Amino acid sequence: MTFEHCIRCTICVESCPVFRVQPEFPGPKQAGPDAQRFRSDREKSIDDWVLLCSQCKRCEMACPCGVEPAQIILRVQQRYGLEHPHTPAHLLFANNYYLSALGSMTAPLANRIAAAKIGKKILGQMGIATYIPFPKFSFKTLRGEKKIRSRGNRKIAFFYGCFINFYRPDIGRKIMRMLQSFDINVVLPPQVCCGLPALGNGNLALARTFARKNVASLSNYIDAGYDIVYTCTSCGLCLLQDYMGILEIPEAKKIAENSYDLHEYLLKLIAEREISPVFREVNRSLAYHIPCHLRALKIGYPAAELMKRIPGLDVAILDDACCGLSGSYGFKTTNEATACELGARAVSLIRKTGAKAIVADCGSCRMQLSGLSGMNAFDPSEILCESLGIRNKK
Amino acid sequence: MSVIEYDVIVIGAGAAGLTAAAWLAQQGVSVALVTAGEPTACLSTGCIDVCSRDDQPLSGIAGLPDEHPFHLVPEAMLRQSIEDFRQMMADMDMPYEGTLEKNRRILSAIGAFKTTCLVPATMQASPQSDNERIHLITFTGLKDFYPGYLLSRFSNASFSAYDAGVSTTMGIAAHFEDSAFRETFLLWLERQNIREDKIAFPAVLGLESASFLLKQIESRLERPVFEIPTLPPSMPGRRLFNGMKDHLRRRGGVIYWNWPVVGVEKSDRQIEAVSTGAQGRPNSLNARAFILATGSFVGGGLWAKRDRIVEKVFDLPVFAPENRDDWFDQDYFSVSHGIGQAGIVVDDAFCPQGSPWNNVFVCGSILAHSEALKNGCGHGFAIATGRAAARSCLERLR
Repeated sequence: MTFEHCIRCTICVESCPVFRVQPEFPGPKQAGPDAQRFRSDREKSIDDWVLLCSQCKRCEMACPCGVEPAQIILRVQQRYGLEHPHTPAHLLFANNYYLSALGSMTAPLANRIAAAKIGKKILGQMGIATYIPFPKFSFKTLRGEKKIRSRGNRKIAFFYGCFINFYRPDIGRKIMRMLQSFDINVVLPPQVCCGLPALGNGNLALARTFARKNVASLSNYIDAGYDIVYTCTSCGLCLLQDYMGILEIPEAKKIAENSYDLHEYLLKLIAEREISPVFREVNRSLAYHIPCHLRALKIGYPAAELMKRIPGLDVAILDDACCGLSGSYGFKTTNEATACELGARAVSLIRKTGAKAIVADCGSCRMQLSGLSGMNAFDPSEILCESLGIRNKK
Repeated sequence: MSVIEYDVIVIGAGAAGLTAAAWLAQQGVSVALVTAGEPTACLSTGCIDVCSRDDQPLSGIAGLPDEHPFHLVPEAMLRQSIEDFRQMMADMDMPYEGTLEKNRRILSAIGAFKTTCLVPATMQASPQSDNERIHLITFTGLKDFYPGYLLSRFSNASFSAYDAGVSTTMGIAAHFEDSAFRETFLLWLERQNIREDKIAFPAVLGLESASFLLKQIESRLERPVFEIPTLPPSMPGRRLFNGMKDHLRRRGGVIYWNWPVVGVEKSDRQIEAVSTGAQGRPNSLNARAFILATGSFVGGGLWAKRDRIVEKVFDLPVFAPENRDDWFDQDYFSVSHGIGQAGIVVDDAFCPQGSPWNNVFVCGSILAHSEALKNGCGHGFAIATGRAAARSCLERLR
């Protein structure tokens, strides 16, 4: 569907989190299909407000006519990025992968600098917001983890993503143990950043470089009979949607056809009676914040389905609010106020449920929500592992 | 063929689909609701029109033509479905007022009255006649509300304008969720020395906490306060949708967003599965029965080609005035364009006539002869037929 299919009903505007709180952003209808009528290839892009869109994709999920406002805006953002100099914050976040690799290698030092006053000051001058603490680099990344050989025939190539690799490899290891307990073989294929941070910061060429590397690597594994399993919903959306779409990677269809969200995959195996996990009681009351990009994946909320099977677990599903951080979006001082306001709303909805902790599939949602609320935020897999009695070795 | 199976899949997230899905979930049936986008209910006033062509909804229904699908819903079931709706919205902190015995009126944004049956509590105090004296609060620069229309028709009204710092319905509603903003606003409001009996607002009093906010203003100003529905984006429509959706979820229903049905697997007599075009693997869901609640033209359930009208999911036979010239009246603003009759004709069990599938049920505004505009059969009709179709679906399953 193109911008011409827009019937101007404004349902997308109702759904836009940024529009609610940021008066400079004209909303997905005007920024997307409306303005598209006036954009020309021969004119330089001048509307800097296109950068205010956080690419949460809620407008696309809301549109009853199949118009994709976020997609239209994403393309304009890339053009804007091509035609205008990048701010230090945009440059840094586009290259988040390399920075994180560096940060992990020097973890003890990097963490100390990022948390220190002087570090915050430097970051602030580069246009980087520090209203929530930066996640702590992990010295030992997931990448070095050994593959898991099991008795079963099922083979998974795990696309773990940067967040788990550099910041929370412990979650990645738990996930691997959980898969091992189901007799599944797990390998960690060579991989780089999915490319979404580069896209989100207007660096199409870099995103394409990342995507090509990943596709080349994952494609070999698919040929060898592996299913690709991702756990970060934004990485997943990038693999499934952007590789085929804006990045125009040959072979991307093959990746999309063979990639699964971890929880979607587990549900599938349960339905096919290939695994039958025995969930033990977990006495927790959780607010499940649905990441915008999980919604956009069109797979329902598989982790919620799995958690329903855990006795004693009380899960309230919340899918009306965007956490506001949107990866690196909220970490830019220009978006800080927007991110804080949206985050405050998400937190107030969470508090209303009376839940004691938060659960969310997306690492950056967790960072934002626990940073703003002081509550614990878990990956759904952590809850599954708790129920299955899977722990990391000390 | 998918491996994920539900008892029932409901297609469409409007008032009809959400009612059907929530009722089935409550009966212990496993239900998934799939939807292409968000429903036109979000654009509505949030009011529940049952049958607005008469002072009394029930006698209005009795006077509908024989072929009108409202006659397929027994009165007891209509009453029960409306009562359940009220209970549900009260549970969701968005109470509704009104009764099936008598329609009421609300003041619209152009100063005319709209006849409806149930109204959100935030519209409860809306005047029933133009003798009432109201004071209108409007907001500087608010693009989607023009107080001039209302003031020119409603001679007993005065107004004052508040500068909320933003000029959109959404933005102001978001501000009203913030207690500091509310306090500043209330102090300003108290200084206005309002002498009229009631205070009117465009519908911007928050999203989640509208009824709480309303009470807060009423107690501070010691007089009734009410909202006037605005052009879309419509906060009352969004509240209605959010309330019904969260209720479905609490009952255990599953919702798949961004899920336009593009493929159907079928056997001779049954629909087996529906699928959507995902980026890679086609996503499909199996079910034993399907409820179609995709709405009419604006909702996207029906599609008009040059010479005929098609139903977009199952390609069910569609009734439409046979002669193309009868689709439209000469008068553009007519409420009885022939095409308003278009839709699916169903039997007593809400199964489509002339289709081979025995596990498909149809409800809401996609039903033929419902003529929402002409008869004032809106969300109330959707809720009642949603419930009735769900009931007969359940009987078929058992």
